[in-house]
Formats: sequence, C-alpha cells, structure tokens
Amino acid sequence: MKESKAWIVFLGLIVLAGLVAWGFQLKEGMVVTNMRNPFSWGIYIATFAFFVGIAAGGLIVSSSVYIFDLALLKPLARIAKITAFASAMGAAAMVLPDLGRADRVYNLLLHPNFRSPLVWDIIVITGYALVTLVSLYIDVLPDLFKQKSRLAFPVGGKTEDEVLEISRRLSRVAAYVGLPFAILIHTVTAWIFSTQVSRSWWNTAILPPDFISVAVASGTALVILVSLTVKGRETFQQYAGAYRTLASISGAFIIVHFFFMYNDFMLRWWWGAAHEMEPLLIALRDYTWLHLAEVVLPFAAMIMFLHPGTKNSFRGLYAASLILLAGVYAHRFLLMPSSYNSIPLSLPVPGVSGELWAYPIATGVYNPPQDIFVSFWNYVPSGVEVMVTLFPMALVLLVITLGVRYLPGCYESAVKASLKRTDEKTVSY
Amino acid sequence: MKYGMVIDLEKCLGCRTCAVACKAHNGQPPGVWWNRVFTPGSKFHQTGVGEYGRMGMYFLPVCCQMCSNAPCVKVCPVGATYYDENGVVLIDYERCIGCRYCMTACPYGVRQFNWQDGKKATEKAHYAHGYSYGWPHKYRDKQGRLVYMPSRPKGVVEKCTFCAQYVNRGEAPACVRSCPANARYFGDLDDPQSEVSRLLTQRGEFRLLEDLGTQPKVYYLPARRSGGERIERI
Repeated sequence: MKESKAWIVFLGLIVLAGLVAWGFQLKEGMVVTNMRNPFSWGIYIATFAFFVGIAAGGLIVSSSVYIFDLALLKPLARIAKITAFASAMGAAAMVLPDLGRADRVYNLLLHPNFRSPLVWDIIVITGYALVTLVSLYIDVLPDLFKQKSRLAFPVGGKTEDEVLEISRRLSRVAAYVGLPFAILIHTVTAWIFSTQVSRSWWNTAILPPDFISVAVASGTALVILVSLTVKGRETFQQYAGAYRTLASISGAFIIVHFFFMYNDFMLRWWWGAAHEMEPLLIALRDYTWLHLAEVVLPFAAMIMFLHPGTKNSFRGLYAASLILLAGVYAHRFLLMPSSYNSIPLSLPVPGVSGELWAYPIATGVYNPPQDIFVSFWNYVPSGVEVMVTLFPMALVLLVITLGVRYLPGCYESAVKASLKRTDEKTVSY
Repeated sequence: MKYGMVIDLEKCLGCRTCAVACKAHNGQPPGVWWNRVFTPGSKFHQTGVGEYGRMGMYFLPVCCQMCSNAPCVKVCPVGATYYDENGVVLIDYERCIGCRYCMTACPYGVRQFNWQDGKKATEKAHYAHGYSYGWPHKYRDKQGRLVYMPSRPKGVVEKCTFCAQYVNRGEAPACVRSCPANARYFGDLDDPQSEVSRLLTQRGEFRLLEDLGTQPKVYYLPARRSGGERIERI
C-alpha cells in the first residue's frame, strides 16, 4: 500500500507537469506544437484514437460474462470496467488540448452540428463512459451494501440476498446495453476519419471494422495487464483460465486486424493509381521504422498470446500485453502521416503520365529559413506535445489506480471473499 | 443569388498579384495565405515542365473553392463554418473552437489556422516600423456573425471569404480587382445573364477535384498553352 501511495503521487506529478505544458501552449498558441496547416492533427488525435481503442476491454469482458456465458471472466470484470472508464476519461481529456480555443468548448453544447462525426463521437463516448460507470456501480453495489456505505442508498432497507439479486439482474441488462455501445464508440471514432473523402488513407469502409478489431485486441490486453498487476503473481493459477481466455481473444483479434490492414494494402497496391499508392508508400518508405513497429510488435504479441508456453505464464502475458499496446500506439500514430503527407490537391504533371504533383500548402507560420509553402511536412511531436500527452496518459493510470484501490473487490483479499460468495449464491446463471 | 468565380487560366500570367492583394486587403498574418499561385508539375514557380522539345507550363491560382457540398461545413462540430445567404462559405471567428477538423476535411488546402496570436506573429516578422496592412474594421455578416477582423485571435481557422467586406458594398473581391490580366471574374451564378454565367458556356470549364463531389463555385477555363489538358485526378 505504501508503494501504491508513492505511485499515486508520481502520477499526480506527471498530470501536473502535463497541465503546465498545456498552460504554456494556451499562452503561446499552438505554434509550440510541430503541427502546421498541412499536418493539422498529430499526436494528440492519434493518442485520442488509442485511448478510445483501449476503452473497449471493459464492457467486452464484462458483457461476455453474460452474453457469451463466460463466467470465468467475472472476477476480472470490475477491473475491466475501471480500465474502460479510465480510458474513456483519457480520450476526453486528450481532445481538449487539441482545441485551439478550449475556452469555447461549451459551443459543442450550445451549437452542435449533428452532421459532424465529431459530435456523434462526443455523444457515444459520453454514453459509453456513463454506461461503464453505471455498470461498475451495479457490480459493486452488494459490496457497498455489506459495508453499509452511504453509496448504497438506492437499495437501503433491502436484505443482502435481494441486493445480490438486483445486482445480478441489472448487470445482465448493463451487459446487453454496454456491448453495442462498445462497438459504437470504435465505429463512430473511425467514421471521424473514414468519412473524409479528401483523405484516401482513411476513406475506406475497412477502417471501422479495423478500429473494432484493434480495440478488442488492445482493450483486452490492457485488462490482462492491469489484472496481472493488481492481482499479483500469487493468484495467477487461480485465474489462469480467465487470462488464457482473454489472451486468446486478443490474439485472435490481432489476426483479424492484420487481415483487414492487408486487405486495404492489397487493393491500393494492385490498382496502383498514384493517389491510392502514395499514402501506402509514405508509410512504407518515409516511416519504415514506425511501420515495422506497428507490424512486428503486434505480430510478436499475437504469437505470445496464442502460444501455450507464454499464454500460461505470468511474465509472458505481461510482456505480450505491453508489446501489443506499444505496437498499437505506433499503428495509431501512423493514421496521420500517410493521410496528411499525401496532399489531396495533387494534379497530373503536364506531359508526364502517371505522376502526381502536390499543390503546396502554406504552413501558417513565417519562420525563415523554413519554407512557407510545403508539399511534405516532416511531423515529429514537439517536446510540449509530448509533455501535454503525458497528462491524459497519467490520468488514465491514476483513475485505474484509484479505482482498484478504493473500489471493493479488486484487490485480492476482497476478491477472495466475493468469489466465495459467488460460488455459494450466484453461480447458477 | 449564388456567388461564384471564374478564373481564366489562358489569361493568368502567374504574377501572384492576386495572392498579395488578397493578403494585404484581408490582413493575413505572416505565413498565412488565402490565395496561392503555382506552376503545376514544377518544383519552381514560372518554370516549365515536360520533356525537351515538349515543354509547357500554366499557372493555377487556388483560393477557397466555395463548395456547394462543402466538407468543411459538414464536419464543423459547432457550425462555425457555414453558408451565408449567397452560398459563400464563411467562418465565424467567435464560434470556432479550433479543432481543425475542417482543415482535414478540405481537399484544397485553403484553410489556415492561427497557430499564434496574429499581432504577435506580425511583430516577429519585423516589418518596417509602423507598417500595418488589412481592412481596418471588423466585419459582421447579415446575421451578425464575425467573419473578418483586422487582428486575428490565436486558435481559430480562417480562409478566403470572397472579400465579404467588399462584396457586401457591391465591389468585387480584391483578387478580381487587382489582377493585371483580368483573368478573374466574379458574379452571380444564378443569373444567366451575368458575366460568369456566360463564360461558363463557352470554353469547357472545369472545377478542381470534381470527382470528389464537392461542387465548387470556383470554375476554371483551361489554358491552351498546357495543351488544354484537364486538371483532374488521374
């Protein structure tokens, strides 16, 4: 517990440092980032998409308990929901520093434009966060009731059995409401990108299904990672079945993701039209190392999740989850360069067939000897951007840490008690 | 009324006067350009492209294409980008939250973000002491929305307004008036008798990236020098 206190203070300091960096950006303007007019979304939006993805784990795990009768996952459901809620909060927190005028964010409520996929996304992510929170509350209700917590007021005056029954019934409902929401947030987040007819890299019907597969794979990996950390090595054998199931789910969805990704590559390569090939070439040629990371890391994680030697080992699962999350982060970053650096207004070169010439875009900042008009912007996040990104990162970890620490039934002693109770009373469903 | 523009590429001599007049009249901060002119296919402006003996060049001015199916208007989460009563796409500087989704959506690269405070950016550029440029007053459209101000706030997106402050007084946009070759025409596309409407029936006009379905209200008349090639996606 002492260690966890130091950890919380550490995370708090990082959140603070990120907020200070954001304050600096607010004061100076977004010129302190390395984004410019031709490359107008960078690491902030990539990280946002990453967070939305890892938020998937929660309701997928807890809904599977009921929808797919996977009772063995139940002991991890609470942790899963906490990670989901935390990631949704992280996604929301990440969008704010990307706004040039965060002080006017209330305009989203006053003047929403319901044709904008961004507005749809805000609605479904808020909905998802609420569903996760309510589902978590329903889940911990019997424990709160037993502790005579004031938070259990809606079931005041009932017996313990009645409360357990209510919790079980409502959990079922939450599972059925939650799963479509979980699917929706990835679909709609992908629509933000895939609706854009000017961006060939995103403008494909495969993007939403791919977002879902990446989300299931990475969200599940996050649940494995947090569960292993919270429950520790001692109880590994006790939950080995649950871990194995999650590892198989994640591994399978990495395969689905590769299938979708290479489907897209295949069509671009086969037809070979310049405006289809260019984004692919940018990923392979100009971002070779990141592209290797987005392929090799998830591939390694997939093998580890499916291989009996590693999926039955604490260390193996731990490493695989971390590797996958790193690979998915690289994958999310690569949403941007191939999209922005293949400039939509590209025209044929007179007298030369098959070649495209990109109409240069003004960067928006006069900074000699840098060119003002560019047709390629070598985007690398600035120090300020990295610092600001640390704020939602640390926030997610902080919410998870506080959640598993203060909510009953996450740490081992409490889990054992609730498990025993589960054996006696609720195993019947 | 539906305002539109016709640019005759046969007449355009690539002098970039329109870009400079536009910048000066609309007080664009350093690094911000609502109007650009380049030589398609060439690394350097005013330099021919092609094989020896078959060289050629033409100049292509690009400002906001004032799409009738504008992706920027569709994606703006707060309705800060909108069509006014004449079909002109405008940005409300007081409404914009600076999310830059419109910049991602726009295929023409005309949208410009204020990465820093306009005044500060101008100071950093070290112009001659006391030099300032741009229409000196704020301009609000008929609905009272702020679509032009001489000193830009940081964090909002801006772009060509078809010179809302002048067109409202019956004058043509600065780029049209300043063009030494009279290559630009401005007027009402709904009126079949207007100069722009009449030009559109004559020389096989085209629009940029027509296959995207954005339906721009800026039309181009092809340059014969480039062999009359159409500027579209391959």
